[in-house]
Amino acid sequence: MLLKIFKFEIKYWFNNPLFYVYFGVLFAVSTLFMGMVSGMLDGVTATQSSSAYQNSAVSLIGFINEFTVLGFFLLPSIIGGTINKDFSSNTSNMLYSYPFTKLHYLLGKYLSGLVITIIVLSAVMFGAMVGGYLPGTNPELLGEFRLLNYLQPFVLYVIPNLIFVGGIVFAVVTFSRNIASGFVAVLVLLLVQGIAQTVLGNIDSKEIGTFLDPFGAAANTYYTQYWTPTEQNENLLPFEGYVIFNRLLWGGLGLLIFFGVLKGFSFTHSPFTFNFKKKKGERIINTNFGSMIKIKLPKISFDYGFVSNFKAALRLSFIDFKYVITGWPFIIIIAIGLLFLIAVISVTGQLFGTSLQPVTWLMLNFGAGTFSLLALVPVTFLYAGLLMHRSRIEKIDQLVDITPTPNWVFLVSKLFALIKIQVIMLLMVMVAGMAIQSYNGYYSFEIDVYMMDLLGVRIWGLIAWALLAVFIQTIIPNYLAGFFVSLALGIGITYLDSIGIEQDLFKYNEGPNASYSDMVGYGRLLSRFFLYKFYWLLLGGALFVLSIAFWKRGMPTVFKNRLRDGLSSFSLLQKLVFAVFIGGFLSIGSWIYYTNNIKNEYVSSKEREQNLVEWEKHYKKYDEIDQPRIIDVNVTLDLVPESRDFKAKGVFVLKNKSNSIIDSIHLNHNNLPSKFSFDQPAKLVLEDKKFNYDIYYLTKPLNPGDSITLSVEVWNDPNTLLRSSNLVRKNGTFLNGGSIFPGIGYSSNGELSDNKIRKKYGLPEKERMKSALDSANLKNTYISSDADWVNFETIVSTSKDQIAIAPGYLQKEWTENGRRYFHYKMDRKMLNFYAFQSAKYEVFKDKWNDVNIEFYYHKGHDFNIDRMNKGVKKSLAYYSENYSPYQHKQLRIIEFPASGRIAAQAFANTIPFSETGGFLAKVDDGNESNVDYPFTVTAHEVAHQWWAHQVIGANVQGVTLLSESLSEYSCLKVLEKEYGSSQMRTFLKDALDKYLLGRATESSKEKALIYNENQQYIHYRKGSLILYALSDYIGEKKMNNAIKAFLEKNAFQEAPYTTSLDFLSYMKEATPDSLQYLINDMFETITLYDNSVKETSYKKLDNGKYEVTISALTSKYKADEKGKKVYKNAAGDSLAFKIEGKRKPMQSLPLADWIDVGVFAKKEVNGVNKEVPLYLEKHRFDAIDNEIKIVVDEKPDIVGIDPYNKLIDTNSNDNRRNPDEKTD
Amino acid sequence: MKLKISNLSKTYKNGVKAIGGVSLEISSGMFGLLGPNGAGKSSLMRTIATLQSPDQGTIHLDDDDIHENKMEFRKRLGYLPQEFGVYSKMSAEDLLQYFAVLKGVSNRSERNAIVKKALEVTNLYKVRKKHVAKYSGGMKQRFGIAQLLLNDPRLIIVDEPTAGLDPTERQRFLNVLREIGTDNIVIFSTHIVDDVKELCTDMAILNGGKILTHQTPVEAVRNLKGQIWNKIIQRDDLEVEEQKYKVISSSFNQDNTVNIRVQGPESPGVGFTQEETNLEDVYFHTLLEESTISKS
Repeated sequence: MLLKIFKFEIKYWFNNPLFYVYFGVLFAVSTLFMGMVSGMLDGVTATQSSSAYQNSAVSLIGFINEFTVLGFFLLPSIIGGTINKDFSSNTSNMLYSYPFTKLHYLLGKYLSGLVITIIVLSAVMFGAMVGGYLPGTNPELLGEFRLLNYLQPFVLYVIPNLIFVGGIVFAVVTFSRNIASGFVAVLVLLLVQGIAQTVLGNIDSKEIGTFLDPFGAAANTYYTQYWTPTEQNENLLPFEGYVIFNRLLWGGLGLLIFFGVLKGFSFTHSPFTFNFKKKKGERIINTNFGSMIKIKLPKISFDYGFVSNFKAALRLSFIDFKYVITGWPFIIIIAIGLLFLIAVISVTGQLFGTSLQPVTWLMLNFGAGTFSLLALVPVTFLYAGLLMHRSRIEKIDQLVDITPTPNWVFLVSKLFALIKIQVIMLLMVMVAGMAIQSYNGYYSFEIDVYMMDLLGVRIWGLIAWALLAVFIQTIIPNYLAGFFVSLALGIGITYLDSIGIEQDLFKYNEGPNASYSDMVGYGRLLSRFFLYKFYWLLLGGALFVLSIAFWKRGMPTVFKNRLRDGLSSFSLLQKLVFAVFIGGFLSIGSWIYYTNNIKNEYVSSKEREQNLVEWEKHYKKYDEIDQPRIIDVNVTLDLVPESRDFKAKGVFVLKNKSNSIIDSIHLNHNNLPSKFSFDQPAKLVLEDKKFNYDIYYLTKPLNPGDSITLSVEVWNDPNTLLRSSNLVRKNGTFLNGGSIFPGIGYSSNGELSDNKIRKKYGLPEKERMKSALDSANLKNTYISSDADWVNFETIVSTSKDQIAIAPGYLQKEWTENGRRYFHYKMDRKMLNFYAFQSAKYEVFKDKWNDVNIEFYYHKGHDFNIDRMNKGVKKSLAYYSENYSPYQHKQLRIIEFPASGRIAAQAFANTIPFSETGGFLAKVDDGNESNVDYPFTVTAHEVAHQWWAHQVIGANVQGVTLLSESLSEYSCLKVLEKEYGSSQMRTFLKDALDKYLLGRATESSKEKALIYNENQQYIHYRKGSLILYALSDYIGEKKMNNAIKAFLEKNAFQEAPYTTSLDFLSYMKEATPDSLQYLINDMFETITLYDNSVKETSYKKLDNGKYEVTISALTSKYKADEKGKKVYKNAAGDSLAFKIEGKRKPMQSLPLADWIDVGVFAKKEVNGVNKEVPLYLEKHRFDAIDNEIKIVVDEKPDIVGIDPYNKLIDTNSNDNRRNPDEKTD
Repeated sequence: MKLKISNLSKTYKNGVKAIGGVSLEISSGMFGLLGPNGAGKSSLMRTIATLQSPDQGTIHLDDDDIHENKMEFRKRLGYLPQEFGVYSKMSAEDLLQYFAVLKGVSNRSERNAIVKKALEVTNLYKVRKKHVAKYSGGMKQRFGIAQLLLNDPRLIIVDEPTAGLDPTERQRFLNVLREIGTDNIVIFSTHIVDDVKELCTDMAILNGGKILTHQTPVEAVRNLKGQIWNKIIQRDDLEVEEQKYKVISSSFNQDNTVNIRVQGPESPGVGFTQEETNLEDVYFHTLLEESTISKS
């Protein structure tokens, strides 16, 4: 019987066109998508390039799993559908009297639904196989075809996930007899997973995370997250430990749920419902049988007018709304949604375990975006389907359809109900936000900001989705298919970019984002945001009118008839309204198109790529020619915050520092309107308006040592609705000099850097940075290629209520014509690197010795001024003592609005600091693992006054070691002095994690620290780890003395500039022979350890002391640029050790390495749980397998090898272990 | 008031010709549409109720083509389909309010009044606060009547309303229908001949999408007057008798003998007694005539 039911269902689906639609859509989309990432569309889009193969197992698991999420939404339709169709067609009553058992019936249904879904989703796998080999794909992006790469993700992840989610959906649909509940279950599951992911991402134990992720991705990531490109390309997916456990756990839970259904199910026909109050049974006796009656109906009047109809629409929308919000699915979504919001908002923005202040705009930005995407939009789609088809689903359609109420009343009522649902859900963001604020003791609720953002801004995009969904549900007779199509469309639109459709104009509901922040408010994009939303709402409105005309009433019929009926019921008024909407839509669209494409040139990312090539081919020849260098900068800048305009005049003195005669000056400028003039006769011989490259021929050439003055006037085009400059803000301007003034000579910054793409365009291969070994490369600093050290003076004006700031000392401040003027001048030369800031600032002033400390901050953002001030003072003290005196007499920290990824930037005695980069941090002093990052970032930026502003390296490989790594090291030392080693551990662990993740996503080559090519994961993360470790090995004093000597030699030097190699020679000199291997391991090569405590125990000795036995494994290996592991040294020597239970022996480079061994006790110190080291010494390790005995005074709680993670180790968790007590 | 159906045809996507060239004129009063299951009754009624468009032909109420101006027609249309569901978790009163709104009763007090009256007429007033979804079949059917009273309909279409009702329910239902049908057109389909006999002023028999006969029940009986003959035979003889005579119906007696009724102008032979003609004879006779015509 089981087989019969199974076969029957399978046959049913094979005859159902939906099956083919689902399969076809998934196959087509995944084929296209795979083709796309494999470079099929390189002809129209920017070139795809990646160092990881698209068809490696690791790439494919990501690819296939993303589609599986879409597949989850098919489960209610397929698995839910198989069981539900018996209820909904009422065959269940008859069917359940047939002679088969529950087991056969349910198992047949579940299995068949599961098998069908698996077949449907296999389309993704097949699509991925085909897509990579479509014509036009780039074979370099693909590795060798390996069937297992495709099968593994499918069998290990997709199938168990379908069993699990399918089990839940099956259970929910069986008991609720309602497919919609199945959707809600999937949605809730995704939200719960979102919560789990968010929360787990922030707990230390990744192991726990591997259990709790129902879809297994966390377990897979646990093993693969640090895989280097080589490993990603070569390895199959891990099938061990946590992965197996996770898959068995959740797949098994799916089956368990199925058997739960089996147990709870009975062949009766009332669906399971919640009942809180048990109603009293009431006996109803019928009276009034069969008698004749006189029916006299009351006289009533009818009103079919617009007003009455509109009132009816409101009334109906209330009924629909009530139906939704009193339903369990919605209540559950609300409850889970709130949890989700709270989880997401509380965790987003954390840095080193430290949260941000719960200010309103952050609550909104962190909460509303994700929530819209994950909950609001799908819920809109789902309820659009349910409401639009509600009468048909509940089979009351024939009664409703024959009423004289026009279609528009129904559709308007559905739309209103949907909008009300959206409003309710949007307000949840406010509820969650205020809950978090209250919890944190933040009671300055800005309800107006919430309301404006949620109901004034965000709602419009959601209404546009509602309009589209109503239309889709009108033309697609099946609400499940309609929901799926809406979802696919909603997701698909965001991917249009990758097939070359880049302009928002062509992508439904796309457009600029408008987000709020304290300093800027909504900023310049708000009006454009509204324009685009209006544009899309016009289209949505037009679709809505079509929906009204084509909404199906009465019996289902073929499409042709529907079209006919729709056209015949398309009234003149409707046509008129439709025409107005479409007309408005097209007019705005044409205007936007005209403005962005005809009046101004639109550059697609493809063209941008080609332009880079053209630029290099045209002008690379000028790279090496001698140009005069800027020695003096004088800027007059007028900022007009009210209209977001600026006008600047720069006077630059250029000096021929070369030995040759210079007869022409090359200006490499931007596309702002500008005027250039020289104080000596100069003829414009080349003016390239595309690349903005101008060449002036000097009538009288510039001899070595001669100077010429260049004057630049530059301003912005008037700001319009569609095109506006982002250089000046109404409040919080942060304008970099480099973004308005020209550079002198060719700049290689604009060249294509990806070698695979370069090859495609016939450009020679190039390193991202030049080599430090060639002295010809040491002419320029990495800050500027047209200047060394310059004099700087500026007059900045701004509006009356703002303060404008630039590097230098304030000479004079005055008001003129209602504007404020500030005159700044530097007292000594500085790098050609400056910016201007202007905002309504509050000011805080302090002093350290004779240095003026000033803070400029947005009103109310004074949470961390004290911490940052302390950071400034401690840093100035440490750096002056250990490196050299501070070269300036002031240090200013100036807040700027959160934008982009810049947390802070250091200019001479001037440090612009992002609001989220420290001003809004919420440091919890009670929590040891919360890094005080306002303090830390301040220390880092202050360190740049030495590491960049005193010593600046040449623009060659390894240069950022001298600025970023040394600043990281410096701030770590200041942090350690202030907070002790526990914050260090959090900081270093985070640095290690980010370094390992960074190298896993390296798109080109991982370089060793001294050769790094401005790679953030190397110069910040690895740099801080390594310099800190080295100072631990050789001693802080010795280290700092070497640094000091290096600084003394190179501070304020002119070209040729110093390099990381020079720095390394100082480190080498300071390092004793026994530790010389560190120099090579840490700086010159990529070296990793695999250290772990295999076993450990302790026993109490007779003298009251404890003897700890540690069995530790240690292994060291090098990695090449692609992450391939190397265990042999140059001589070909290597170590190996066979571990029980493992197939492969553990390998290592030959060892003579000194590694920390530590024993710790957990103790309460001043009411806080702390770990106190009982023993911490470096031991020399010569073999992989080691046994160590240590005697300590107190009972040991934790034992570790390299317990502070000073060395780079991909698994830092197994370095520590709790010892077992051993008794004899 | 007159409903005029001219040459109406409807063929479904699956090839079934549900209505094949039906022409009918229906005047005020109760009109019974009699026919076996699958005869096309529901299709015809749905087409009149504007739930589907005909492929061919027109329907006029007086001078108005109802499919040309559906909305106008729907204002005074009452329709009770053979099967219908209701919104879950809504009481009869709320649901009637809902329908009253849909039917254009926009004045609140009038709406309350008509809903109350409709509940009383259908004897649902006591259970008005209960969810309709929990009603018994008869109660739900009465609810169906209640909803069609709300817009004071001139044309009422009820599709197989008495199926599944107990005798008292059925009686009461028919009474209500009769009462509202006095001045209006009530088209009501059934396969139960007694329903028509009891209250219809006009009737048609439909099969295979075609009207087989259209006359008043009285006329119909009169036309077969004196042509019905009855004979009691043994079960085993049935086949033989059917070969010999034009048997329009047969039924068992309690002693396992069989009554056969035969139509003919004079006594078919020995053992036959003349019987009073009833509407059922007309029904069976009409269907039989049709099938023999289509066979030959």
